[in-house]
Amino acid sequence: MNHFPEAWGRPRDDVYGSYDRSVFGHDAAGPTQHTQQPIVTGTSVVALKFKDGVVIAADNLASYGSLARFNDVERLRQVGTHTIVGASGDVSDMQFLYEKQLENLIIAEDYQEDGHGLRAKHIYSYLSRVMYHRRSKMDPLWNVLLVAGWDDGKPFLASADLLGTTFSSPALASGFGAHLAVPLLRRIAPDEASVANITREQAIKTIEECMKVLFYRDARSMNKYTMAIVTGKEGTNDEPDIEIQKDVSLKQQSWKFAEKIRGYGAQTV
Amino acid sequence: MTSIGTGYDLSNSVFSPDGRNFQVEYAAKAVENGGTAVGIRCRDGVVLAVEKLVQSKLLVPGSNKRIGTVDRHMGIACAGLIPDARHFISRARTEASSWRKNYHTPIPVSSLSDRMGLYAQAYTLYSSVRPFGVTSIIGGMDEEHGPTLWMVEPSGVGWGYYGAATGRGRQAAKAELEKLDLPNISVEEGVKHAARVILIAHGDNSNKDKDFELEMTWVRAADPAAAAGQTEGPVKAMGKHEPVPKELVEEAERQAREDVKGDEEDEKMEG
Amino acid sequence: MFRNNYDNDSVTFSPQGRIFQVEYALEAIKQGSAAVGLVSKTHAVLVALKRNAEELGSYQKKIIGIDSHLGIALAGLAPDARVLSNFMRSQSMSSRLLYNRPIPVSRVVNAIADKAQVNTQHYGRRPYGVGLLVAGVDETGPHLWEFQPSGMVLEYRGTAIGARSQSARTYLERNFESFENASKEELVLHGLKALRDSLAQDKELTTLNVSLAVVGIGKNFKLYDGDEVAEWLEKLGDTTSSRGGGARPSAADAPAGGAPVTTGDTEAGAMDTSE
Repeated sequence: MNHFPEAWGRPRDDVYGSYDRSVFGHDAAGPTQHTQQPIVTGTSVVALKFKDGVVIAADNLASYGSLARFNDVERLRQVGTHTIVGASGDVSDMQFLYEKQLENLIIAEDYQEDGHGLRAKHIYSYLSRVMYHRRSKMDPLWNVLLVAGWDDGKPFLASADLLGTTFSSPALASGFGAHLAVPLLRRIAPDEASVANITREQAIKTIEECMKVLFYRDARSMNKYTMAIVTGKEGTNDEPDIEIQKDVSLKQQSWKFAEKIRGYGAQTV
Repeated sequence: MTSIGTGYDLSNSVFSPDGRNFQVEYAAKAVENGGTAVGIRCRDGVVLAVEKLVQSKLLVPGSNKRIGTVDRHMGIACAGLIPDARHFISRARTEASSWRKNYHTPIPVSSLSDRMGLYAQAYTLYSSVRPFGVTSIIGGMDEEHGPTLWMVEPSGVGWGYYGAATGRGRQAAKAELEKLDLPNISVEEGVKHAARVILIAHGDNSNKDKDFELEMTWVRAADPAAAAGQTEGPVKAMGKHEPVPKELVEEAERQAREDVKGDEEDEKMEG
Repeated sequence: MFRNNYDNDSVTFSPQGRIFQVEYALEAIKQGSAAVGLVSKTHAVLVALKRNAEELGSYQKKIIGIDSHLGIALAGLAPDARVLSNFMRSQSMSSRLLYNRPIPVSRVVNAIADKAQVNTQHYGRRPYGVGLLVAGVDETGPHLWEFQPSGMVLEYRGTAIGARSQSARTYLERNFESFENASKEELVLHGLKALRDSLAQDKELTTLNVSLAVVGIGKNFKLYDGDEVAEWLEKLGDTTSSRGGGARPSAADAPAGGAPVTTGDTEAGAMDTSE
């Protein structure tokens, strides 16, 4: 996974060569094709568990190729009472998931009024099935999803991607963040056991740091993001406290150091 | 009854010589046997209430709910055959969900009742099905019209109401509803009136010795500030359908029992 | 003889608004042997009386496991119960596959209720001829539901269905207040006592004719059959009806031939679906 979502899940052209269409003979149209690449994309989502919950963040940029096309896109979504979902990759597929699938799912769940609700692991299971189903139809939803929340009396964090692959870890990041942020996150959360020693403040600080590094190094990122903090009561499935901070700006971020770099800014030589 | 023995009442979708569809009328009879249901349209929301007769003390109190939620902003209270009511509500949810899929917006209450009228009507057209043994009261709020209340009958007919009542005690309930200044009351007042209306309707029919549970829901402006700032006319806002908080229901029921008892004593004094 | 014209199919209302085919289907439950269900704060129990058609034949299965947290007891047409239990099992599997969640008891019950309702509204179909007791445990605790062919479902603290089940219900009504805090053993014994009360005069509970199932919070649905029932019958002691003097005649014992007649019967709520 890198910051070219169009390359996710594809054999690399530089390794395997480009796809040989001649296998279809003279039928120029070839087989029926569905989504072959994302169009408008969102970059990394980063998330980290701490002792009493999870922090998750994603910036507000939607890129059209390398063009910074929209700067007010919300890529985190609260689903039900226990869960925040974050999506990178294709923004229209994300909107389909958030505004159609998950919205209907929650409305239908609320009909029952029977004291049961979909918590983080249920939402995650559902999304995993949808992603795997779509890839099996050869029509994937071009996203990497992080599901953060509270379940079984402890923090929950897991990912599902366009191939239907599922993965869980105390620290997760999608997109470019999988390369740049995960090493930073693993410094304080190398394994599940270490989560018990991470405080809420520490987790927030680490995520903020990751967002800053990503902004410096990821050309598809921006300096405004949304961060959600889920804090639960240990050992219970009571409704966790979910704090969503919108339009957060990077702290102590400056391009000043770059002024002396050749090729940057208004240098003429 | 002129219908019996004529042969015109043995199949659905058949007219009698004087232009009646008896099977639809018989379906309405099933409704008359069901527990009373009422709906009250208020200034800032809608209140729905049903008289849930408790047939056995072995039943789990508070379980076996009779009022259903449709989308987030509507509720349906039914009188008649309960399994039919569940089917009807389930169809309403399908309609609401399909509307959302197509238009990416919640279905207006009027459109939902319109569609449900069509659905009920379709079950009067064919001899291969029977009509719904259900009259449903649909209440909800939408941004264009604010709170509205509708009632759809087995024939498919559906009207808008300020106060609606159906089921066994509907006559007494209607008489009480007509005394209210609808829709110029708040949902909180509506809750109190609904409890009293159900109680009076219950006392008015043959089951008055049987125990019953009062089940109540409301749809009220999602934004309380929008409702509070307004002194006249309906509040035009989206609402959420949910059970009325337990304490409020209990208080309303307690007060209603006192009121009804007081009235009865007054009558005795006068008599 | 007066011929009821309104009972040929389930798409015809009688002038009183009743659907006789559905009411007759409810009678089919009473042709089956009794089943009892009850719940405490921690457990749900099913107890049922099995019948065999002939001495050398096996006994008809009365309790079916659906999932590790859920099972049913039936009275009436066993093949219909098999169809419904298969459907419940697939619903149960779907819930685990899609949501990674054991299906909440009320939801699987509502699913069969909706399925049954359709059979009461379309020509060419017949209502199911079986009543079910569904016992299970989910995140909101143990539950007991009764399912009827009309599509009606109700949640109970304890109830009984099938032949002579009124006597069992009478026992439950007298004792239900002690169910809530009963231990697993006490709850099973209450169930057996209720079932015992539904026995005919010359019958008794044996390891051959009793099926029993228990499910608890954190404890899987466990079916006791045959010799496994012995320990419970020992704890029960007396295996014959304690009511003495034989069974009272009750509504439940009326033969199917005594099914409701139309004329003048406008008793409100005669059809159980309208409350």
